[in-house]
Amino acid sequence: MSRSSLWLSLVVLALPFTGVTFLIYETVGFNWSELNDEAWRASLAVTLYVTLTSTLLSLMIGTWLARTIYMKRSSWLASLLKWPMFVPHVAAAYLFYLLFSGGFPVYGLFEANERNHLVVILTYVWKEVPFVFLMVVGTYGQLNHGYLDMAKTLQLKPLEQFRVAEWPFLVKPLLDSFWVLVAFISFAYEVPALLGVTFPELLGVLAYERLTTGLFLNAFESYAVALIWTLFIFTGVVASYALTAKQRRRIERGMRR
Amino acid sequence: MSLVLSGIRKRFKDRDVLSGIDLTIPNGEIHALVGVSGSGKSTLLRIIAGLETLDAGTVTWEELPLHGVPPHLRRITMLSQSPLLFPHLTVGENVTLATPNRSREEAEVWLTRVKLPGRYDAEVHELSGGEQQRVSFARALAAAPRLILLDEPFTNLDPGLKSELQRLIRDLVRELELTALLVTHDREEAMLVADRVTLLETGHVRVTGTPVLLSETESTFGDFVELGGAFYPSTEIDVSTEPTSDSLVLVRPFIRFGHHFGEYRRSTGEYVILPRNESFEVGKTYYLRQKQGGI
Amino acid sequence: MSRILVAFLIVFPFIGLFLTFPTSFSWDEAILNTIAYVISIALVNVWLGVGTAWWLLFTESRWKSWVEWLTFLPLFIPVLASMFGMYIALAQVGLIGTYTGVGLVLLVTTLPYSIRLAYNAMYVIGRPLLEQALTFAPLARIGFVLLPLLKESVRTIVLFSTVIVLSQFVLVQLIGAGLIPTVTTRLYQAYAGNDVSQALQNTWVLVSLPVLFYIGLGGIFSIWIRLVKGRLQ
Repeated sequence: MSRSSLWLSLVVLALPFTGVTFLIYETVGFNWSELNDEAWRASLAVTLYVTLTSTLLSLMIGTWLARTIYMKRSSWLASLLKWPMFVPHVAAAYLFYLLFSGGFPVYGLFEANERNHLVVILTYVWKEVPFVFLMVVGTYGQLNHGYLDMAKTLQLKPLEQFRVAEWPFLVKPLLDSFWVLVAFISFAYEVPALLGVTFPELLGVLAYERLTTGLFLNAFESYAVALIWTLFIFTGVVASYALTAKQRRRIERGMRR
Repeated sequence: MSLVLSGIRKRFKDRDVLSGIDLTIPNGEIHALVGVSGSGKSTLLRIIAGLETLDAGTVTWEELPLHGVPPHLRRITMLSQSPLLFPHLTVGENVTLATPNRSREEAEVWLTRVKLPGRYDAEVHELSGGEQQRVSFARALAAAPRLILLDEPFTNLDPGLKSELQRLIRDLVRELELTALLVTHDREEAMLVADRVTLLETGHVRVTGTPVLLSETESTFGDFVELGGAFYPSTEIDVSTEPTSDSLVLVRPFIRFGHHFGEYRRSTGEYVILPRNESFEVGKTYYLRQKQGGI
Repeated sequence: MSRILVAFLIVFPFIGLFLTFPTSFSWDEAILNTIAYVISIALVNVWLGVGTAWWLLFTESRWKSWVEWLTFLPLFIPVLASMFGMYIALAQVGLIGTYTGVGLVLLVTTLPYSIRLAYNAMYVIGRPLLEQALTFAPLARIGFVLLPLLKESVRTIVLFSTVIVLSQFVLVQLIGAGLIPTVTTRLYQAYAGNDVSQALQNTWVLVSLPVLFYIGLGGIFSIWIRLVKGRLQ
């Protein structure tokens, strides 16, 4: 039973890698200087800004909530936090669009579509906080509470207690969440297409538009950007996991459940 | 100059875990809290450490109430069943972390005192369970506590390692003139390590006393049978077949002193020594007396 | 107090939904496509996710860590970026503009999450308990032990795959070559055409489908467990 599903899974999961291979194949001979235009450069800057802001905010708020809810055993808030997970990103984007463009109290605070992409960030944070919460709260659930008690009785200051008794165990789920969110947010179309502006556009939006307009004449630009971006994130993933590998293995082995 | 617990109450949901505990532990004493699981002994320990709130009563240290003092300012450290060394740090770093001025030299001294010299750079998982527990003990001492709480620290160890660690802890705590409170369900262990023992039963103090018991009234006597009183191993004892006015009452249904085992016959109130060597006769009654100048 | 504020911030965006209620619900091709995809992708995800996670948990194979990486890595590849590549790849085999092609890429985007979720859940349950299941015949194993034990994770897997499937606009548009309408593509058209009420109706569908599936699945599971208990008495 498990063997056949394993093979099927492997075939399905090989597809993205096949896709990347095809991107490499397609971009052979591409004149990379074509990418050096104003639109792409502005796009890179705004993408980094939106991605990092939304990701870091989500990680911080999600972790804070997981910690608070775990410590205070606030189960009603935990179940309320599930709500945004029921809303597809597209729908969330549209709900936020309505909030900031209709006759709501927040109307006029800032525009739904404006250059700073504030509503894009807000939508992502609202959607991703529950995801981070889910990743982190599991870790708290399995964490041996004795470590925290130990840190307290060892006369460590509160910040140090967190640093030695919680942080080491959070590294893995936070690292996982960080890259999942960065990969997802940095090259997506749905949310920024609804809430973004025509300049600067996020990478995913610009790439999709260049790909589909003008009879695929600019397709190679998009392929090249998709490839670079994938490799860029891939390098980041490999580097960050390699750098933390020793530490994570240490924790895994020495941990008492 | 002591740890004073008075009127300590704690409820969990609809159950009284501790219903009015009064206990005074003088400075420099190793005190054992004995009880079956659910008797509230660990909860009491956590209350003293500040890890648990209490519903009524006070905990004072040298006449200063500890109420509202967070655990990390109480100067009370703890050793639990599991060593709980922080896995992202080396063995030595775990100890350094606890020293007040983060001194590696100091940590190395502590490691030597728990008989693990030169293991500063070892990884946590490279140490055996017993060694990890020793590091944990060194770490608890390194934090310069005035009181150390021992929450069944020997439970997960093999018998050999257990008695080794029991001796190590007892001797070091004595030498450093620390006050220690040991929680255990093992009466013999309490006798072995502690100066005085308190028996906790469903949230009450049943009785407090010393492992070496002088002849007393029948009622306390009964209590000490419950308590499992025994002779402290270092107590020197005279054994005679004739009762004397200051005979010790041997208070455990089955006790051990030195290399000999004794049995208490409740019906006759006598002690029967079950000898391991030829100096005692099987089945014969002996009366025990503490030697002059003993504990 | 801060908890109340957090609760408010979570609930607040839902206000937008109540601008209008779906008035004239039309059972059209887009909704049919959407529901068909959601159900089939969810089922395949549960099957492949649990099966693969089971293999990962029990295998002694030396390929284990490689397989682990292969199932995990797609989470770190930007979906849209690899989609461009898959677009080229699927075009070679003529799957662009077909239901199969779209279904396949929807599966690609959801499966890594499902394997991860199933694996984590099984890891928490632990091998000893799961090994007990091995003493049953395959069908009984699934019905009597696996499903009851994993019911919450199965619900989460279905929720994740449903929500992800419902989120995809570019993927369906690109791989489906614009020939396969779903509620999501409909929402974009309504939005582009500034048709607020049409867009809101689609939003309602997008939000209520995962909720309905989640609650429905919960109900089915509790009935199932009651049946299983009944049979065992």
